[in-house]
Amino acid sequence: MAKIELRGLGHAYTFVGGEAQFALHPLDLTWEDGGTYALLGPSGCGKSTMLNIVSGLLEPSLGQVLINGRDVTALGPIKRNIAQVFQFPVVYPAKTVYGNLAFPLVCRQKSKGEIDRRVNEVAELLNLDKFLQKPARSLTPDLKQLISLGRGLVRDDVAVILMDEPLTVIDPQLKFSLRRKLRDISARHGHTLVYVTHDQNEAMTLAEQVVVMDSGRVVQMGTPQELFENPVHPHVGYFIGTPSMNFLPGRLHGNDVEVLGHKVGLPTTSELSGVSEILVGIRPEFISLAPRAGKKTIPGLVVDVQDMGGFAILSAKLSEDCELKVRARDHVPPVGEQCHLDLQSDRVRFYLDNRLVN
Amino acid sequence: MYGLTRYKLLFLLPGLLILLGIILFPLGFTIRVSFSGWDAARPGLDWIGGTNYSRLFADGRFWESLSRLGAIAFTSVILEYLLGFALALLVWRQVRFRRLTRVLFLIPMMTTPVVMAVIWRTIFHESLGPANDLLSLLGMGSIPWLTNSFWATVVVILVDVWQWTPFMFLLLLAGLLSLPREPFLAAAIDGAGPIRTFFNVTFPAMAPISVGALIIRLIEASKIMETVYVITSGGPGTSTETSSYYIFIRGLRDFQIGYAAALSVTYLVIMIVLLTIIAKSLSRYLVKNGA
Repeated sequence: MAKIELRGLGHAYTFVGGEAQFALHPLDLTWEDGGTYALLGPSGCGKSTMLNIVSGLLEPSLGQVLINGRDVTALGPIKRNIAQVFQFPVVYPAKTVYGNLAFPLVCRQKSKGEIDRRVNEVAELLNLDKFLQKPARSLTPDLKQLISLGRGLVRDDVAVILMDEPLTVIDPQLKFSLRRKLRDISARHGHTLVYVTHDQNEAMTLAEQVVVMDSGRVVQMGTPQELFENPVHPHVGYFIGTPSMNFLPGRLHGNDVEVLGHKVGLPTTSELSGVSEILVGIRPEFISLAPRAGKKTIPGLVVDVQDMGGFAILSAKLSEDCELKVRARDHVPPVGEQCHLDLQSDRVRFYLDNRLVN
Repeated sequence: MYGLTRYKLLFLLPGLLILLGIILFPLGFTIRVSFSGWDAARPGLDWIGGTNYSRLFADGRFWESLSRLGAIAFTSVILEYLLGFALALLVWRQVRFRRLTRVLFLIPMMTTPVVMAVIWRTIFHESLGPANDLLSLLGMGSIPWLTNSFWATVVVILVDVWQWTPFMFLLLLAGLLSLPREPFLAAAIDGAGPIRTFFNVTFPAMAPISVGALIIRLIEASKIMETVYVITSGGPGTSTETSSYYIFIRGLRDFQIGYAAALSVTYLVIMIVLLTIIAKSLSRYLVKNGA
């Protein structure tokens, strides 16, 4: 149970001509005690680097890591009371499940009675109790991953649980139940949980706060809803949501923004004086198909329809180089037909220099 | 179907013929020779039944050489494994001079066995060699390196270890470098020190490679011959005589071709059985505890 603060934290693996090539650009971030956080971003965006710095496996080139206000930047992983679960399940193959779960306590020279008590508690919590005497190497990947997690949980002094894409190798059905188990455990014990993933669904369902990263920078941190409704950067709109946010070139006419000659909304900011071009973003969920052409609708040609079961993703061509994706439920027009798109004007977002402006 | 089978055979034939020519024929011929009394006085393929084999079973010198071979091979391979593993662990994480150290370690492996055996014989020469010079300089007197049966065995093992530790080192280093990082990070998080990490992570993960390296080296070491021939010639007496060297004496020095063939066949059978058992039990024991 701990609050974690990153102060001016940055890391570079390589230096070219004395200049740091940042894998993680200097940043400030606070993770509150007992919160669940997801670090979301594409591969190589610096999320694992950040996690390894927090756990002490990596020493940052710049800045400090504070756990409960104490500077732990120079301390190794043992002194930080951190549990970390990795992408690939790690078990000690020569040991039984019991031996695996007991290992962190054995390393900390706890008494036999205490080890026994803690291991049995954790095994029960994770439903591993019937496997305790089995060799760990004989288990399935999801059970092995539970053991990895269990090794973090047996230590009752654990401040924070860090997870680095822990469900990558798990079957989809099991992923669902494991994710729920993770939530339950962190909620019940009040552990601070930091979860690295490149899967937006995982991030959105698991975490209270999602930290979206790109090329070594934190782009936005917020609740799943905030990220969905108000992405501050086109990257967030692009990375979150299926399908991703639509982006269209817009022109400013007086106070109105027009896309291909159609009025789509009215920015409420005064920053736009002297600007003529602006990026318009709208989620596929906030576009509806009108039955006929109207004053507010934009005409398009249906070029693709993907049936997703409960809904369909429709691609409509508005002009030669401008295409929109629409999430439609019923009356989906077939490919090749004209359609009329109605953009909810209060859901339209405007971006100037890759920054949200309304 | 018939035509296809014929074509298949046709394409397989060159390979089969070569196999037959270089492996099966010499083997078959050796077995045939082992039932003959071919020697310097009566060369030729006559038939004397199992006489060679009954003589062999009563030949104490052969069985002694075999058990001596076992002792020498096991000792040197285990020493090579321990040393090689230790060296590999030592340079594993090191980044600078990596290439240089690897090349340096390769040198003993690249030298011709006979040449380096001659060099070692000179080093251990009792009155002229630097080994004894050094010892007397340190005030420890001189050691009868090549005339005492214990020390002669030590020298043979030492030379084998010197020559083949780099091989172990390279195999194990390659193994270490191919290990995934996560288990080591997890061990660090769990609070394991270097010793616990070694026994719980490194060693189990290296088990399959270790088995491979040990078996390759055991097969190789069971043929030890040049070192013995050059350094001690099996002496003093027969105290460093290994099986292959004894077979060489019987076959090419005494020209008892028939008897040497019987020795070779017996040696081959024993080796195949023994090494199979060793390989199986090693892999069962080590790999079970590993991945």
